[in-house]
Amino acid sequence: MLLKLLFAKNEDIPVGSATIFFGYSSIFWFVVGTGLGSFNAAKLAFPDWVTGTELFAFGHMRQVHVLAVILGWISMAFAMTMMYMTPSLGNTKLWSEKLGLWNVFLWNIGLSLGLLLLWMGITSGREYSDLIWPIDLVVIFGVLLPLGINVWMTIAHRKTQGIYITNWFFGSMIFLTIITVTIGQSPELFNLTGLTEAYLTFWHAHNLLGLWITPVAAAIAYYTIPKITGNPLYSHRIGHLHFWSIIAFYSTPASHHLMSAPLPEWLKSFASVEGVLILIPAVAFIANILLTMKGKWSLFVENVEIKFSVTGVLLAIPLNMQGGFQQTRAINWYVHGTGWIVAHAHLALLGMSTFLEIAAVYFGLQAMLRRKLYSLALANLHYWFVIVGFCIYWISMTIAGLIQGAGKIYEVPYIDVVIAEHPYMIARWIGGTMVFTGNTIWLYNMWMTAREGTIIPDGRYAHEMAYER
Amino acid sequence: MGFRQHKFGSAGIGLMMGFSMSITLFFPSFDFRSGVSTWVGLDKQLSAGRLIGFSYEDPLVRGDGKPVTVILDKDPSTGAAIDPPIRAYVYKPGTPFSPGINHTDQLGLGVEELSVNVGKINDAKPGDGIVFTIVKGEFNGEELDYVENATAVRGWTVDKVLSSVGDDAKRFVGAGKTIYITEGCWWCHTLLPEETQDWQYFGTPPYLGDFNGEMPTAFGSDRKAPDILHVASRNSSREWMYMHFFNPRLVQPNSIMPRFDYLWAPIGKGPSDARDASGASIDFPKWRAEYMTYLKGDSIYPPDVPEPAADSQVRALVDWIMTSLR
Amino acid sequence: MGWKFDQPLYCLSDDKEQKEMIEHWEKEKHGGLSEGNNRLPMPLVLIMALIILTAFMITMPIWGQRPTADNFKEFVANMNSPEVQQIADPEKKIEYLYNLVYSGADSRLQGALERHPITWDDLLNIAPGIREIQNGGLYPLSWYNVIGDRIVLANFEGNYVEIGGKLVRERLQPWWDKGYTIDVFYVTYFIITMIIVIKQLPHFTRKPDIGRI
Repeated sequence: MLLKLLFAKNEDIPVGSATIFFGYSSIFWFVVGTGLGSFNAAKLAFPDWVTGTELFAFGHMRQVHVLAVILGWISMAFAMTMMYMTPSLGNTKLWSEKLGLWNVFLWNIGLSLGLLLLWMGITSGREYSDLIWPIDLVVIFGVLLPLGINVWMTIAHRKTQGIYITNWFFGSMIFLTIITVTIGQSPELFNLTGLTEAYLTFWHAHNLLGLWITPVAAAIAYYTIPKITGNPLYSHRIGHLHFWSIIAFYSTPASHHLMSAPLPEWLKSFASVEGVLILIPAVAFIANILLTMKGKWSLFVENVEIKFSVTGVLLAIPLNMQGGFQQTRAINWYVHGTGWIVAHAHLALLGMSTFLEIAAVYFGLQAMLRRKLYSLALANLHYWFVIVGFCIYWISMTIAGLIQGAGKIYEVPYIDVVIAEHPYMIARWIGGTMVFTGNTIWLYNMWMTAREGTIIPDGRYAHEMAYER
Repeated sequence: MGFRQHKFGSAGIGLMMGFSMSITLFFPSFDFRSGVSTWVGLDKQLSAGRLIGFSYEDPLVRGDGKPVTVILDKDPSTGAAIDPPIRAYVYKPGTPFSPGINHTDQLGLGVEELSVNVGKINDAKPGDGIVFTIVKGEFNGEELDYVENATAVRGWTVDKVLSSVGDDAKRFVGAGKTIYITEGCWWCHTLLPEETQDWQYFGTPPYLGDFNGEMPTAFGSDRKAPDILHVASRNSSREWMYMHFFNPRLVQPNSIMPRFDYLWAPIGKGPSDARDASGASIDFPKWRAEYMTYLKGDSIYPPDVPEPAADSQVRALVDWIMTSLR
Repeated sequence: MGWKFDQPLYCLSDDKEQKEMIEHWEKEKHGGLSEGNNRLPMPLVLIMALIILTAFMITMPIWGQRPTADNFKEFVANMNSPEVQQIADPEKKIEYLYNLVYSGADSRLQGALERHPITWDDLLNIAPGIREIQNGGLYPLSWYNVIGDRIVLANFEGNYVEIGGKLVRERLQPWWDKGYTIDVFYVTYFIITMIIVIKQLPHFTRKPDIGRI
């Protein structure tokens, strides 16, 4: 069906096709990514489980999990939301459904190929930039650029005078991410070496998180929360503060990832101040969203999209408190390189970002399919599996990280740290498996929604009739 | 509604990102360029070749197109003893040079001048097959290590150097580091003892000039296992390393490291081609069955770990560990 | 667009401009969404100020710094004393030295010693280097970091001082560290920009009539 639509005329493609294909692809990659995560966690708890071949060795699977989640789930969910939020906020149609479909097609092909190569060990050996440079070029020209063109052109063809904050975020963050990825891959493209390579690796890794994964997720919340509650956004002014402080403060602290490497000291000092200042966009964002909820807090219980969204926003509080302070010289020496950081990374990606995206994917797929969710009970089950699984993961890894940190400082023989961490590694595996199970339920639920969901009549929204039979 | 217009906003985004990027990319680039290669930095890049990871010469990331490091205790031309032994980096014809040879300005102030003027590295052409060494020289009153084109300066040709030593003295460092990258060892082990607190246990942190010409640096960020930048100083037993790679639980019952018994295969081959040093293929199911009886306590000794063949992947990996991680 | 500058912290747009913006916000709906014009609640403004203050305070060079060679000079001075030589166990030796130095140290050094323990073996390794610098080294001991068992010049860029007839940069972190200085300017520019951007909007007391909020 996708193939037929790829070569159809743009006018003949039903509105929302790109959203729907992106939506289901993202859920599929989410299931794959969390499944791999659960598998990897099992290998850390039980190292002799599935052994004897390099294809199932931890070192071959770990980066596949990371990139399947970042490029498959999170980025595709972003693309999915861009495909329906951007036109909706400009009171117009998507600039080109056809470009959107080609985008989803190239994205899936490129990502599958890249992950397959990584799985075989064909890698560039740089964290978060593991994909080899030909695949990096596919990511830039087949994934990000078409997405950007579609979003920019849709914004340019808007029917409103103003541009809503979500669209400001979408348009600018794609642009900045293309710059980030291009500069981040330059060591591979131009054979830059040494400290330059190390620094650019983490410049890319930091900016990918700071200018793509967290702000675009925040932008999604600026749409879903006012849309579903029916409240106007609390403040345009705070939106300005959030947007500009993201660009100013989130794009600068890259070197705080290398506090103990021989980088210039002034750069580390600069970065650690900027790193604390990321709390400014965080406070602005959280305040703006939670104040928008005013008078509608019952929806936190009643409505599944709001439940996911608000949980995501609430998780942004510990996320930014950790992120702001753990990178300072005062704290970094204790937690650097430990499970604490792993917990923090999952708080950002699986906690804050993912919860906001799940809400938007739920909302967008129902709106574009014009079908009501197949089962609200399964959706709630999904929520509880993911939140409980995530909490188990986060808490156990945070404790493991503190143990590791203490071991590092007090010069405990490393093997004793490994022994002390073992129960938390098992807890981590259980948590990860719960998230995976929840997502499998979700995939089933959305599949059945497309096939058997109640058709939504014109002029109504899915969330309004969630409890109607 | 002036400020809501996209023109003003776009210019603002560009301006702000420009500010941010000049501080985080442009300013530090001067500091990065000022790093002067140390001996460690020169050794790293000469033994690793152009780059580790996906490249034209090594598209399948198996360790192709990498130089061979040779430990020389006597001069291959004259036969005179060299004490202490030095390292020669043998680039066979066609092996691409490390970045510092092609772009000498990356070597840093002093090292570049010495390497070009005294070490004659500009005479080296990749097609010829060149042997490099690291020697000490003086630049503006400072003692520095620099790269010497030993083929031009001392007449050490590739054949002469390789035939003057036995297999023990050849270290497949570049191929070994490639395996470190493909097998994802760096997802758990770091190569960066921290400058603040943990060097007491893991040894000296790296210096500014230790990375010139290295790609990828593979510091690692998530430490689920000990830092191994100086592992060979703590443990220099190849026997231990081989047992630990074959099954880490043989030497460390609580280790969570994966088994790397499939690395007994020759470079570029799968586990089914695994051979021991005598050329006999390794029967993994039998080994594991015997290991299980040992675990249950039915046998007192664990089965012997096969001696790796000279062309096996694990030999290259241990070569790298023993040669570079000191 | 109309500017007015008589009350810059109230609003930078003239009345006509403000009225137009409010009317526009009431009229225009983005996909059914509208925006309010509320201010950032005062407690949060204070939190923002606190964040900026904290950012500079917590990253000041007090914590987690490298151990300098200066920290260990008393160790080196006393390591060959008869009291130390009487002790056989290296761990006891270093414990004795630690207690000796710690009790006589100021609080800054005490903190540094707590964070950077040293073993007897490391002390043996770095002692010759420290003595060499003390007896006719070019730069003061405090410019050197002890990293592992080696002593290296620190990576800081401080004030210019004249040593041996040459102008060189101190290898100490100065109070005006380049990173902090850039930060001060960066944050200041940001705050000025944000004041201009936000004060150009209608004053927060003029709320668009967009229903419940």
